[in-house]
Amino acid sequence: MFELLGAGLANLMQVKYLVPLALGTLAGIVGGALPGVTITMTIIVVLPFTFGLDPLQGLAAMTGVYVGGSAGGLVTAVLLGIPGTPSAIATTFDGHPMARNGEPGRAVWLGIWASVFGGMLGGVFLIGATGPLAAFALQFGPWEFFSLFVLALSMVAGLVESSVLKGLLSGALGLVVTILGSDPVMGRERLTLGVPFLEGGVPFLPVLIGVFAFAQIMSEVERAGGVERAAQGAQRALSLAASHVKVLWEIVSRPFLVLWASFIGVLIGVLPAIGGSAANMMAYDQAKKFSRRPEKFGTGIPEGVIASEAANNANVGGSLVTIMAFGIPGDAVTAVMLGALTIHGIQSGPLFILQNAQLAYGIFAAYLIAHLLMVVILAVGARWMLRVVTVPKAALFPAVLVLCTVGAYALNNTMANVYILLTFGLLGYAMVKTGFPLAPFILGVILGDQIEINLIRAIMTDADPWLFLTRPISGLLIAASVASVVFALWQHRRQQRRLAQRADGDADF
Amino acid sequence: MKKLVAGFAVALLPVAALAQFPDRPIKLIVPWAAGGDTDNIFRPFAPLMQKHIGQPVVIANVGGASGTKGAKEAKDSPPDGYTIYGMHDYIHSTYYTGVSDVNYTDFETVCLVSSTPSVLTGSPKTPWNDWKSLLADAKARPGQISVGATLGSTSHFFPALIEKAAGIKFKYVSYEGLAPRMNAILGGHIDLTDANLTQKGKVEAGQLKFFGIATEKRNAEMPNVPTLKELGVDVVYDVNRGLMAPKGTPEAVLAKLAAACAATVKEPAFAESMKKQATDVRYMDRKQYAAWLKQNDDLNRNLAKELGLSKR
Repeated sequence: MFELLGAGLANLMQVKYLVPLALGTLAGIVGGALPGVTITMTIIVVLPFTFGLDPLQGLAAMTGVYVGGSAGGLVTAVLLGIPGTPSAIATTFDGHPMARNGEPGRAVWLGIWASVFGGMLGGVFLIGATGPLAAFALQFGPWEFFSLFVLALSMVAGLVESSVLKGLLSGALGLVVTILGSDPVMGRERLTLGVPFLEGGVPFLPVLIGVFAFAQIMSEVERAGGVERAAQGAQRALSLAASHVKVLWEIVSRPFLVLWASFIGVLIGVLPAIGGSAANMMAYDQAKKFSRRPEKFGTGIPEGVIASEAANNANVGGSLVTIMAFGIPGDAVTAVMLGALTIHGIQSGPLFILQNAQLAYGIFAAYLIAHLLMVVILAVGARWMLRVVTVPKAALFPAVLVLCTVGAYALNNTMANVYILLTFGLLGYAMVKTGFPLAPFILGVILGDQIEINLIRAIMTDADPWLFLTRPISGLLIAASVASVVFALWQHRRQQRRLAQRADGDADF
Repeated sequence: MKKLVAGFAVALLPVAALAQFPDRPIKLIVPWAAGGDTDNIFRPFAPLMQKHIGQPVVIANVGGASGTKGAKEAKDSPPDGYTIYGMHDYIHSTYYTGVSDVNYTDFETVCLVSSTPSVLTGSPKTPWNDWKSLLADAKARPGQISVGATLGSTSHFFPALIEKAAGIKFKYVSYEGLAPRMNAILGGHIDLTDANLTQKGKVEAGQLKFFGIATEKRNAEMPNVPTLKELGVDVVYDVNRGLMAPKGTPEAVLAKLAAACAATVKEPAFAESMKKQATDVRYMDRKQYAAWLKQNDDLNRNLAKELGLSKR
């Protein structure tokens, strides 16, 4: 195994592979950093350029995009508070406050180095544990998937600051959105009121762009004295310098956090049907629950950034396992990655690694090297990416909004997505104003169809509803989701009591 | 005089516009998820067609509701040749089983591309080693053996034909497209499914079982898989894929698309990638394809009726 990996690394060091890998990583970072341009879109854009290349060249480029995209999203997340990609949502929670507190360099580099650590740990899993982990994921039938998605949703709802009730309501609202349109089994129309535009349902990307970009930008615009503030921000943002030693120590001194977040990332990557967008949120939630100072989360502490970024890059390693070993795409990004594999003539399956060892280990090597290239590219290029921030907000926000709108349009080349973006932008803005959290809503929209289809499949396979509880993995997951809500309630109460007891809010470490 | 010139210009405009087709990328709607069978056939097709038509051919995966979501979108697209649609035999079955109101007559034919024979495939966790033991068990436990299928589509028709020919009864569970079905069958969450020889690697690794192939003769790639006919189940079934354009697409545009499609199908590179998909290249021009579709439609109407799935 190590010989093969060594050969793969040596092979990849040739210029003919390094160049497409570096270009792919660069494209991924830029695409990931641009709000409204997702990794999926970036991969779709880059893919045609790889047709003429040999398989390993092409796949190296695609792996670069995937890895780079997962890291690129963090720059925008930290500096603008808008996730460049869904997998950077949780990075905004602490990364952006940290940047606003005057430490943008620390926030960005914490994210980058956490990505590298998470990515490398993901790589260890990718290379070493492909077989056993994939076998575990296959034990998941419709019952287990249903319970898993319910767990993901209840965990995220519990992550909410203000009230667990609002979090759960917000998640439920997200689920309701997915009822619109044709039902997933027989295509019967639901709640379309005869409007043809609603027949196809509501795709989640325009909703995501609307809720996060539009609602965010509206709240920013609202702030008085925006121009001066932006100018100040630009001044400060110019210095992205941070002590790498200090940042690295901040990460290394929290080995449990990094390991646990990476583990969650890998696990969610391996399980089909949930992608990076769930991984970073779950890891963030876990970091918060295990922390000795959960109340500080959201104020700009390193743990939040580390958890989210380690998880989303580890997630890439995990999803590559499932794509390569079983040919099962987990989400939109991995579906496109699978397409890229197929285009380059790869029939993925458990035999793939045995029969195409050179190619498989070439991809593993590309995955590892892409992380190093990512650091180099960001070290050199972060200052240019900063231009996005130094542009006055009066010019930036309209431009971002246009970009988002164009992005939504380009998804299917239909205006329908633009209207959806507008509708959900307004809804998201209203939710922000009334104190409803956005994250559970989005997760509800992403998981709604999967929850429904797995519920239907479970019942079609066996009419007995008790199976959700009596099947061991499913029962455990359901118990965990109940526990997660109970725990969140208990924690909220404890926190309030503590706040009441302690007049001065010193953290305890 | 000026008016006359202007009039001429207006009259010439559509012709000029046609002469330019295509002057921007063409969208190819694949009504299933990426990584499924239909996707695997049109993915290598698109870049080759691009070479012959001179504009990028971009695949849009519009999955959902047994492939009818993509069909609806293709039907409602402007008939200008910039949206084409990768269709297969499901269009008839989803129409007659009432899943959708879109029929093949809502489109113009471009050309037929490929044909993939169906194989009855089982999970490794099933106890049966051959068709005989499966048949005996199915007779003993009617309605208990689960089949993953895209409801109302070809993967539903194929096992339904087997049910009828063998006098047994299955239980159907909705799994859209081959990719999710594979996940479920590898994990043993469903017993049987309609698949094809692309899954050869998994069978050799002992992760899947092939019970029988729905062709007249055994396949040279896997000669140890018996035909269903040999097993006494008189079912021959394959899934044919072709390109369509929305009804009302101008004749000149269709001719250009058809010419590019014909040239693409004849590419050796395409034959090579189809071989990997265990699929035969099957070309028909616009007229032949239209006639074939009509025939196939009658066949499916009768099938739906015979199988008791008809809602029309």
